[in-house]
Amino acid sequence: MKNDWLEKNTFHYSEFNDLDRLVDEKRKKNLKISLCLPTLNEEKTIAKEILIMKSELMTRYPILDEIVVVDSGSTDKTREVARAFGADVYEAKDILPDLENFKGKGENLWKALYVTEGDIIVYLDADIKNIHYRFAYALIAPLLFYDNVKYVKAFYDRPIAIGKNKFRPTGGGRVTELVIRPLFSLYFPELTQILQPLSGEYAGSREVFEAIPFPIGYGVETSMILDIYEKWGLDVIAQVDLDKRIHRNQDTRALGKMAFVIMMTFINRQKKLGLIELKNDLFREMIQYNLVRDEYQSDIFKIEGHERPPIIEIPEYRHKFNKN
Amino acid sequence: MDNYLDKLPDFVNTVKSIQETIITNIVLIGQIPSPTFKEKRRTQVMMERLAEFQVDECSTDGYRNPIGIIRGTSESKPPIFVVANLDTVFARDVDHYYTIKENSITGAGILDNSLAVGVLVSMPEIFRTLNLRFESDIVLAGVIQSIGKGNLRGIRHLLKTWHTPIRGAVCIESSGLGRFNYYTDGMIRCELECNISTVDGWEYKFKPNAILVINEVINQIQKLRLPQKPRSRVIFGKTSAGFKHGMIAYDAMLGFEIQSDSDRMVKSIFNDIKDIIDGISHEYEVDLKLKTISSLNAARLKFNHPLVKSTVAVMKKLEIEPISAPSESEISIFLAKKIPAVTLGVTRGENHHQVNAKVEIEPISKGITQIIGVMMAIDKGVCDEKRLA
Ligand SMILES: Nc1nc2c(ncn2[C@@H]2O[C@H](COP(=O)(O)OP(=O)(O)OP(=O)(O)O)[C@@H](O)[C@H]2O)c(=O)[nH]1
Ligand SMILES: [Mg+2]
Repeated sequence: MKNDWLEKNTFHYSEFNDLDRLVDEKRKKNLKISLCLPTLNEEKTIAKEILIMKSELMTRYPILDEIVVVDSGSTDKTREVARAFGADVYEAKDILPDLENFKGKGENLWKALYVTEGDIIVYLDADIKNIHYRFAYALIAPLLFYDNVKYVKAFYDRPIAIGKNKFRPTGGGRVTELVIRPLFSLYFPELTQILQPLSGEYAGSREVFEAIPFPIGYGVETSMILDIYEKWGLDVIAQVDLDKRIHRNQDTRALGKMAFVIMMTFINRQKKLGLIELKNDLFREMIQYNLVRDEYQSDIFKIEGHERPPIIEIPEYRHKFNKN
Repeated sequence: MDNYLDKLPDFVNTVKSIQETIITNIVLIGQIPSPTFKEKRRTQVMMERLAEFQVDECSTDGYRNPIGIIRGTSESKPPIFVVANLDTVFARDVDHYYTIKENSITGAGILDNSLAVGVLVSMPEIFRTLNLRFESDIVLAGVIQSIGKGNLRGIRHLLKTWHTPIRGAVCIESSGLGRFNYYTDGMIRCELECNISTVDGWEYKFKPNAILVINEVINQIQKLRLPQKPRSRVIFGKTSAGFKHGMIAYDAMLGFEIQSDSDRMVKSIFNDIKDIIDGISHEYEVDLKLKTISSLNAARLKFNHPLVKSTVAVMKKLEIEPISAPSESEISIFLAKKIPAVTLGVTRGENHHQVNAKVEIEPISKGITQIIGVMMAIDKGVCDEKRLA
């Protein structure tokens, strides 16, 4: 396997700390940039993300043109708070309301394509406790400075060997290391160079995002990488070390569900690409057991596995963006 | 002379217009843990932000206090200092991530004193937005090793090694919009330790209990006659003792402060307490160690000092009710060096010294404007003539 991609297309955020240069480049290329934050009950962190991005990347350095929150029907004050801090706030179900309604992060990312204006779109999870504006500008920068790059993915914690005999593991989460990395190693060894394929922070050009399907739930990151790789090759992808990201720690059961969705997405993609044949359709239920008193009871988590088509295929979208 | 006062109410709105940037600074700096003696990382971030906001000079002094300087228009006027302490009481492993809501910021250290540091760093941007130039250089100093065992070391070193005159100073505290400190009591902070040998012994017929020994010390200190004038008191502020419920305590600690507006009285009470302790140590045959952790001399601006009058005028103009009390903090060190100085609070808060400390966002712009008003007063010369009493 060649792994020169890792050398060539991996950056550290500090390479892009000169924000005046970014502003210049953006102006030269005459691009609009949108930041999208998908939310579900994130009242604790959303205000901070909006406020810091707005201060640093709108008021002080004109890099972002808009901050858009797409919410999955939060029952806390997420939407209210986000609005108070100046973001454009939508509920996912109100965007393209004639379509059947689904709930999930992927759904929000997809619908954001319809309401945002940007030529570049930055997606950041809304639950980042140590949010810093580098999370946005460092993902945008490679898109501005390298013409081959169309999609930029975040990874965290310096992973590369330091000194002669010292090394650190690359610090993907458990689902990455136990599910995605083995699958990639088995089927697409080149893709293992993407150190944290599940990170929720990435940026890309509209042409890329509008041309790929979006699973509505947890599978969205995996499918995005596979589709972009398949359509345009690894060279349009770059990754940026954003240092640390503080994350709540999920328990193993929750990770199990996540792993289930990701494997399902992966296998379905394989099948679609003609890489494997399945004798039967996959089952759509993740089954976990609880011991209740003296009895084992199953706890079933059902996944419909819905997927949105490339949004360019939606007439309203083509109309709005004059793509006929 | 009055016309700068008239500008202040409008300033509040202008300051509010860059509130997002001020809060960003508060968050980016405040989320970096900075326990006393371990302020290095926060120092770095503070310097980065100062450089980002293009102060004319940005460096650390010989003691590693981070300092930014904005050059004034006059070559001859001494500088005005604005300071806030960088250290907090929270250890590095405490969660320092802040939560922002519509009218509040919550998180460890925000009240003491992270909000103030964020405000300090925002000053260059605030001056730019207000179109404000000062005659004096403005020295923005984050001072390390201030609270508790830090004992104001940062500010002491900064002022000891600053060799040219200083025109005046404003110390910023996050909490207590309306607080107005301009005098400081004489103070000695002590820790008394009682240790009883744990070697099973023949020395004692009845083994003394460290808690009871300390209790006796407290009782006798309370019997001391303290004068109303000079106003004096002893505060018992901290204690810990023992190991478990069913066992005599072998060790005990008592932390207390002697405060008075007369240094002589502080000294004299300290001597009385020392006598009490020597007596009890002898009587109970226990080891009592009295340590002085820190001390301050009494110092003050007179209530009719022009800086005091101007500060009150600024606060009144902004409809802030001034509340004065003695303060042992950075101003003590300025005042001891005969540099006119006041401490002002930026906003209102609750849950002091707790990890869920919370500040209100709304008053911040007024709190900042008041600081700027006082700086303008100093720049107009209110500290130049009268020396301290
Ligand atoms: N789980 C979930 N997240 C959503 C949904 N809609 C929007 N989101 C947002 O999507 C982002 C990522 O969701 P998380 O649940 O944090 O998913 P994750 O980052 O993979 O998992 P964590 O380890 O819990 O952080 C957050 O900003 C959510 O608020 C939804 O329907 N379900
Ligand atoms: Mg998350």
